Amino acid sequence: MSQNPAPDAGTPPDAQETTQLPALDTQVAAELAPVIEPATDQTGVQEINPVWVYSGYWGPLDEAQHPAIIGLRAQFGDAIEEVTFFRDEVTVRVRTEQLAEICTFLRDTPDLKYQMVSDLTAVDMLNLRSEPRFDVVVTLYSIPRRWRLRLKAGVREDQPCPTLTTVYAAAGWLERECYDMFGIVFAGHPDLRRMLLAEDWDEGHPLRKDYPMRGYKQYVQPGFAGAAPRIRETPREGA
Amino acid sequence: MQIEVERQIGENRRELVLNMGPQHPSTHGVLRVVLTLEGETIVATDPIIGYLHRGVEKIGENRRYSQFTPWTDRTDYVAAPLNNLGYILAVEKLCGIAAPERAQYWRVIMAELSRIASHLVWLGTHALDIGALSMSLYCFREREDILDIFERFCGARLTTNMMEIGGFSREIPEGLTDMVEAFLKKFPAHQQEYSDLLTQNPIWIARTRGVGIIEPEAAISYGLTGACLRGSGINYDIRKAQPYLVYDRLDFEVPIGTRGDVYDRYLVRMEEMRQALRIIRQCLDQMPTDGPLMLNESNYVIPPHATVLRTAEDMQRHFVWVIKGFEAPKGEVYMAIEHSKGELGYYIYSDGTNTPYRMRLRTPDFVNLQVLPYMAQGAMLADVVALIGTIDIVLGSVDR
Repeated sequence: MSQNPAPDAGTPPDAQETTQLPALDTQVAAELAPVIEPATDQTGVQEINPVWVYSGYWGPLDEAQHPAIIGLRAQFGDAIEEVTFFRDEVTVRVRTEQLAEICTFLRDTPDLKYQMVSDLTAVDMLNLRSEPRFDVVVTLYSIPRRWRLRLKAGVREDQPCPTLTTVYAAAGWLERECYDMFGIVFAGHPDLRRMLLAEDWDEGHPLRKDYPMRGYKQYVQPGFAGAAPRIRETPREGA
Repeated sequence: MQIEVERQIGENRRELVLNMGPQHPSTHGVLRVVLTLEGETIVATDPIIGYLHRGVEKIGENRRYSQFTPWTDRTDYVAAPLNNLGYILAVEKLCGIAAPERAQYWRVIMAELSRIASHLVWLGTHALDIGALSMSLYCFREREDILDIFERFCGARLTTNMMEIGGFSREIPEGLTDMVEAFLKKFPAHQQEYSDLLTQNPIWIARTRGVGIIEPEAAISYGLTGACLRGSGINYDIRKAQPYLVYDRLDFEVPIGTRGDVYDRYLVRMEEMRQALRIIRQCLDQMPTDGPLMLNESNYVIPPHATVLRTAEDMQRHFVWVIKGFEAPKGEVYMAIEHSKGELGYYIYSDGTNTPYRMRLRTPDFVNLQVLPYMAQGAMLADVVALIGTIDIVLGSVDR
């Protein structure tokens, strides 16, 4: 603005003349003016007003302040490989061999008391990284602290994962389901059978990423001679 | 599985293996329980599930985020709005958005109505299993009113697909709050009827008190949630422990049992229905009368229907949202809500595309059913129906 001359001084005389036209009646001006709605009304795009609010349900989002992480680092040292935060959630990646000891420690330490296993499942990381293939994901809950904590342990395809049935009774069925869906063997599990699929299921483990959406086998409809046409053909594993 | 039907285990003792289900009327669906009996006493129990397994998690990994909501209806089909709610809250947390205040209140109202409906189905079938036939007729009569409210709101009674990412895209129909008010007015008297029929009933007490006791330590170790945990005296209700939506502004009590038997869990659920009425009452009073029901946001939320028909930008955005879906941020979330049966958790692992990389449903009854062998150990054969009923399972939710 400072480089521009003042409007009165630098403007040519013609322009000055146009500014001196008689002003329109304001009533008429309002009628002649084009009606422009605010852009927000037209597109529906406004700033994100009610955003998701940090809850604090997983403890402080700081490695140096979270008592569980402090305790784990002091007790296990190198076995705690990585701590990540997303939204309000705390994820601790631990060494697979020491998963059961770590859970026992979290359950029995008086000021932590992660006594409850909310969830135990796995993620097949086939498309995202090379090794290890699976992540076993354990979500713990502490009733006195009202905090959750997620533990992750990488498991290779040929590697057994230590069982948590010695720590939490709830792990029994959750690990069976995990074995059923991913084929992860939990070493020391007392009753590792198929959970949801039939006992004689011979088509592998369906939640693996290389398992086709409609299974490997042709689907024969009852009452029809041939197999039903498949919409999505996927090559068989290893073929 | 090869089952030895009869086995001699002592001089005058022999074990008998009895197969209960999957077509047994009191297993609430297709649950099969292999019971090993000595006389009438249960020695071992092996629940076999999976007859209703549809691979919902695999389907969830192959659908866009908005396409999966109808599938959540079909997991626990007696409390579909609660399933919707858990999933929608997980997606909203993943995307970092939240619904407007008015929608949050309305979500709570729908969720609590759904909780009452679910408890009514539980009460009716549980009492029917034990022998109180008329209870199921009364309970389903009152559930009808709730289903009518759902139908008026979203057009469906059972598989509602009610909640949407960002709130509700349609306005609350006129007269619907009056229907809720009318339900609030008449339901306490009906619940008093159920209470009069059962709570002091000597047959009911004989069949339920002291049966299926779960010790508090065992309840925690088995990961029980909901009334199964609170019946054993552990105070864990996610609405209080980790409040979501507007539950932290509402005044309600969490009923806690003392003995941890079937009767206590019955009392806990009955009281939960009364507390749900209180919650709905407060929500109707506190809810803003006007204001948006849907979040106005350009990435993750479907544009408003009115502007889709009027403006080119919103029509394009609507097209892209429906055809391509939205790309959620990279990350992983676990969102748990207090379902009528316990902790319903959705774990979503997102790799930044428009479908979740991993979709996990932690359903409460799958985890709760695991306690059946513990409860049935040493119980009588006739108690098995009471023990299955008290867990409150829906096989669609157990098998997923």
